[in-house]
Amino acid sequence: MFGRIFYYKIKELMRSYWLIGWNFLFPLVLATAFYLGFGRMMTDDPEFFHTIPVGYIVSEDVTEENAAFLDVLAELTKEREDDVAVLKTTEYDDREAAIAAMNANRISGIYIIGADIETIVAKNSISASTLNQIVRTYENHATTLINIAKDHPESLQKAMDLLSEENTYIKEHTFQRETSAYMQYFYALLAMTALFSSWISTVILEGICANKSESGKRFEVSGAGKLSSIGAGLLAGLLLQCLSNTVVICYIEYVLKLSFGMPIWCVMLVTTLGSGVGISVGCLMGSLIKNPALLVVVPLAFSMVCSFFSGLMWGNIKQILEYHCPIVNRINPAALVTDCLYIRSTYGATPMYYQNLVILAAITVGAMLLSSLILRRRNYVSL
Amino acid sequence: MNEKVIQIDQLVKRYGENVAVDHFHLEVYDGEILGLLGPNGSGKTTTINCLLSLLQYDKGDIRIFGKEMRPEAYDIKNQIGVVMQNVAVVDTLNVYENVDFFCGLYVGDKKLRKQYVEEALEFTGLTDYKKYKPKKLSGGLLRRLNIACGIAHKPKLIIFDEPTVAVDPQSRNAILEGIKKMNRDGATVIYTSHYMEEVEELCSRIVIMDHGKNVANGTATELKATLMNRETIRIGLPEKTESVLQGLSEINHVYKVKIDGDDVVIKCDGGDHNLVHVLSYLTDQNVPFGRVSTELPTLNDVFLEITGKELRD
Ligand SMILES: Nc1ncnc2c1ncn2[C@@H]1O[C@H](COP(=O)(O)OP(=O)(O)O)[C@@H](O)[C@H]1O
Ligand SMILES: [Mg+2]
Repeated sequence: MFGRIFYYKIKELMRSYWLIGWNFLFPLVLATAFYLGFGRMMTDDPEFFHTIPVGYIVSEDVTEENAAFLDVLAELTKEREDDVAVLKTTEYDDREAAIAAMNANRISGIYIIGADIETIVAKNSISASTLNQIVRTYENHATTLINIAKDHPESLQKAMDLLSEENTYIKEHTFQRETSAYMQYFYALLAMTALFSSWISTVILEGICANKSESGKRFEVSGAGKLSSIGAGLLAGLLLQCLSNTVVICYIEYVLKLSFGMPIWCVMLVTTLGSGVGISVGCLMGSLIKNPALLVVVPLAFSMVCSFFSGLMWGNIKQILEYHCPIVNRINPAALVTDCLYIRSTYGATPMYYQNLVILAAITVGAMLLSSLILRRRNYVSL
Repeated sequence: MNEKVIQIDQLVKRYGENVAVDHFHLEVYDGEILGLLGPNGSGKTTTINCLLSLLQYDKGDIRIFGKEMRPEAYDIKNQIGVVMQNVAVVDTLNVYENVDFFCGLYVGDKKLRKQYVEEALEFTGLTDYKKYKPKKLSGGLLRRLNIACGIAHKPKLIIFDEPTVAVDPQSRNAILEGIKKMNRDGATVIYTSHYMEEVEELCSRIVIMDHGKNVANGTATELKATLMNRETIRIGLPEKTESVLQGLSEINHVYKVKIDGDDVVIKCDGGDHNLVHVLSYLTDQNVPFGRVSTELPTLNDVFLEITGKELRD
């Protein structure tokens, strides 16, 4: 019985135009639009995959402490764990030669190391801010290092080590955050896609409940248990939603060639949990709402509003919420999905990442329990 | 007497002020085709919905196969087939898939189900339309699909709620023949309708329903027999003057005189030789008259007699 309902619900859904349109085509169109809008910046930005080429000139008036910056540069030209060095340095003898190289796009910026460290950059880009940040970080540390050298010369070596760790910090946190700012939109898009499953859910319920459709009456007069029928239908919906997620993920990763910065299965794990939330919240909506028009409007509005607050249309909204009303980001399923993806790609599997996954699972279980209570209690229907 | 399949006692269902089913009682025995006859809005569908535990009712006791019917009485539900008043099929599935899908809610075994589905399609004459989507079917074929979906699992008790509404005469006959055949094969049938001819032709016993009440019950012959002392005389009368009509109504046992087109319809209750009295009156008065006929009571007359209104409006 369960298997039959599952099988036919899959068939039924696969032949529904609205489902193909909203859950498969719409996300692909939106992904393409995002890609055309700013995807190019991501792939073309040299530091996204590549090292920043930078020139430097050592002036005659170089101080002893600024000479140490050369060591930092040397450190940054070494390859990191992921085989990408932060910088590729070239020394120039004079300013003119360096500027000519920069104008010819051979280098993205120039350090002139003298009494101060002067940074010249070609244009206001991510490379520019990175080059500036390297100097700022160095200067902060230089003061610290000088102080340490004065008071605890024995700790100087340790401090130097810390400095190089700090370089790693620059790399991870500056560079990837910049690129993730764009990926945020795609994360929000995946969240929206996952939440569209709430609509699948209301449609499934509509077909199985006697008070919502004529064919629902057939279910309720038959010997098939109501909750297991609904369970089979929802499982079919979840499976199709996961298929839709996979299509969108593969499209972004392989067709648009934008890297999620994590294994594909990780992305799928997160979107599957997100779809679980969509399906279960949709089931809750279906068990509460009677009006057939609202059964379509409410899940769509839910997906859209949640994704909006997770940064689908305006990337900063989540930061603003985090500042003023952080609880919204903790319970908005779309924000949880984007956070999960962002954290996973930037920091790896941190406790925060697991916390978000657990919250997603908890919302799913909670909504399922609540709706099964409502559906079970409603033995009779109001026709 | 056969075993009782359905027993409904004192069923009451209210919609706010409106009492849709009013202390309704019904017994259905094994092997019969029970016709539930009543005009639109008399509460037939509501009764069926209560019977199937779709609707919660205010009062009453419903037993099917000797057991109390409840929403979770799946063992009872498994043996019932329902053909609802409105077409209930899945638009995205084709004819075969629809029947297979709904049959699958009852029959788990794959081979048996395939056989049942094929038989149901054969039975409803849909074998040639297996691959059609419901939207492509004509009204009559769609109704037949609706029936096939409800009966494919060969239930012991089948409930039809106005299955012939908006169906062409050919499909209608096919449907009625089909129901008779299912009954011959052992199914007990409840058939609701507001068409008395259909009910009279098909049903072994009839319950007349009005304003949610069971107002009469028996075979068509039994019901009409209550009116057997009634006589309806129809006479073609070219000159229908006031005095003639007055004179006719004053004849002994005549209680109603009505003009119906060219004819005058005279209703008599009891008494012998009513026709002779009427004709001799007309001859005495030198009133010319045409064709004369007497009519037996119809179910409509029965309904009229009980409720004071026509079954058909
Ligand atoms: N959902 C409902 N809400 C309010 N009144 C209803 C509802 N369904 C039916 N009724 C009323 O109950 C009465 C019986 O209706 P119904 O059972 O559909 O009659 P039938 O099937 O004999 O035509 C009618 O007066 C109808 O207006
Ligand atoms: Mg009805």
